[in-house]
Amino acid sequence: MDTGFMSRLGSSPPQASLPAFERFFREQYATVVRIAFGVVGDAQAAQDVAQDVFIAAFQRFGDPGESDHACAWVRVAAAHTALNAIRGERRRDRRQRLSGTEVPPMGPEETVLDRETRAEVRRALSRLPRRAATVLLLRHSGLSYAEVAEAMNVKAGHVGTMLRRAESALRKELQNAARV
Amino acid sequence: MPHVSSPVLRRLVDEPLAVPDRARRHLADCGRCQAGRTEIAQNAATAAHLLAVPEEIGNVDLEWFLLAERLREPGPARRPAVCHPRRMPRRLAGASLGTSAAVVGTVLVVGAGAAAALTSVYAPTRVAPVPVSTNDLRAINNLTGLSVAQLSRGLPPSGSLTLAFGDVSWNTAGQPQQVSSIARARALTHLAYTAPARLPAGVGPPGSIAVQPQVTATVHFSSSAGAGIAGSTLEVSVGPAIVVQYGGRPGPAGLTTLGIAVMQRPAASSTGATARELETFLLSRPGVPSGLAQELRLLGNPAATLPVPVPAGLTSSQQKVRGAPAVLVTVPGGAAAGVIWESRDGLVHGVGGLLDSNDVLNVARQVG
Repeated sequence: MDTGFMSRLGSSPPQASLPAFERFFREQYATVVRIAFGVVGDAQAAQDVAQDVFIAAFQRFGDPGESDHACAWVRVAAAHTALNAIRGERRRDRRQRLSGTEVPPMGPEETVLDRETRAEVRRALSRLPRRAATVLLLRHSGLSYAEVAEAMNVKAGHVGTMLRRAESALRKELQNAARV
Repeated sequence: MPHVSSPVLRRLVDEPLAVPDRARRHLADCGRCQAGRTEIAQNAATAAHLLAVPEEIGNVDLEWFLLAERLREPGPARRPAVCHPRRMPRRLAGASLGTSAAVVGTVLVVGAGAAAALTSVYAPTRVAPVPVSTNDLRAINNLTGLSVAQLSRGLPPSGSLTLAFGDVSWNTAGQPQQVSSIARARALTHLAYTAPARLPAGVGPPGSIAVQPQVTATVHFSSSAGAGIAGSTLEVSVGPAIVVQYGGRPGPAGLTTLGIAVMQRPAASSTGATARELETFLLSRPGVPSGLAQELRLLGNPAATLPVPVPAGLTSSQQKVRGAPAVLVTVPGGAAAGVIWESRDGLVHGVGGLLDSNDVLNVARQVG
């Protein structure tokens, strides 16, 4: 761990619950940022989403370690916040197309998929029902069936049904987009 | 053996050991199931490829440093879309506890009503905070045709309203009344009210004890309502309740320093519409703020959750009262606080007053 960052935090944070929140943050950060990345496909944007989600969690849960649904909340909130972010992106893309503005070059982290495919996936996700998009993001970020079930407040046996439908819907959305 | 269901075929892709042997044996001999598995596996593989995520993203130390900086900033930090940045209007910030309590009470009724409508049998077992703005309140009032002032004053014991998607009528089992003793309040409501044995410094004896009988509201959805909803009926019951207000010591007799309320948890039943249909229909009504709808969806199981509206500018946190999840709401500066929770016996409790949060929680832990 880079202790330089920690020493600059100081020993007396103004929020009494900051130390407890730091534990929660460190436990959940990787999961939250991976869920966000599944939507936005960009490390910087995913980190921004994660920051916003944890700010909201800090305001919502005095001590998330004591809450029985803080983990589930930040995971679903990451998916929803990222999906909201790409809604704004769709508007920006349209504005850029209409105004003829140049699209900024691809970032170095966009290496898993090419830019156009990534944009198509984002558009398809934004058109899916919110729960379908969320179950896809949670599962494909690495959560187990049990963790997805807990986050979405459904039985573990129902996750397979939701996943199958969501994956089928994603494929259809992408096929429809390819035909246009 | 019947064909293997599609959820089982999907699970075979991720967790094959979780699938029973007989399903695998059937699959080995069934062309139809094999075709289904192939399609499902292809869809899963496509999604996995398109949604692939790097193993590590960012530096958690750096991210914590950046986050801690934001959390240390004075004033409310910028909130994400899920939490809606809203500033408390100046007139609310300077309002008395009574006014704030009225607003909180109003939105609680509205919020509970909205949540109650989300399921065919609504029986919440826990509370959860939902941030609301005055714009949210205004939007909800526009839907009902009632003003905040009307709701704050209280609705008549019975009546009806025409809504855009049907009509609602309500009836109260008796008259709200002041009673002379807690024993009398218990007898009228059959609620188990426990008076706190130790009161915080500055809190005097009970100044008033009020009883609110149960209110039952029935919504008849018109034929113009959405598919699955049209023609159905939703019945919501709230109460009865006991509200005890304590005066000051020393100080003016009329000043309420502490209020304690207990009520039967709200419940709802529906005919002809599923919980999911009702949730989708009600939260997608024109005029329902999308942010508020999203917050309600984020609560998780709507049938089991009582949303506690938290007006912008107030701070909320999750606490425990005798093991039950509780929402503590505080006014900036700590001049007043309130806490709401549901105990295991199905009663919703509220304690609030011109006290700091520790005093409020101490009282709560005596009565819950």
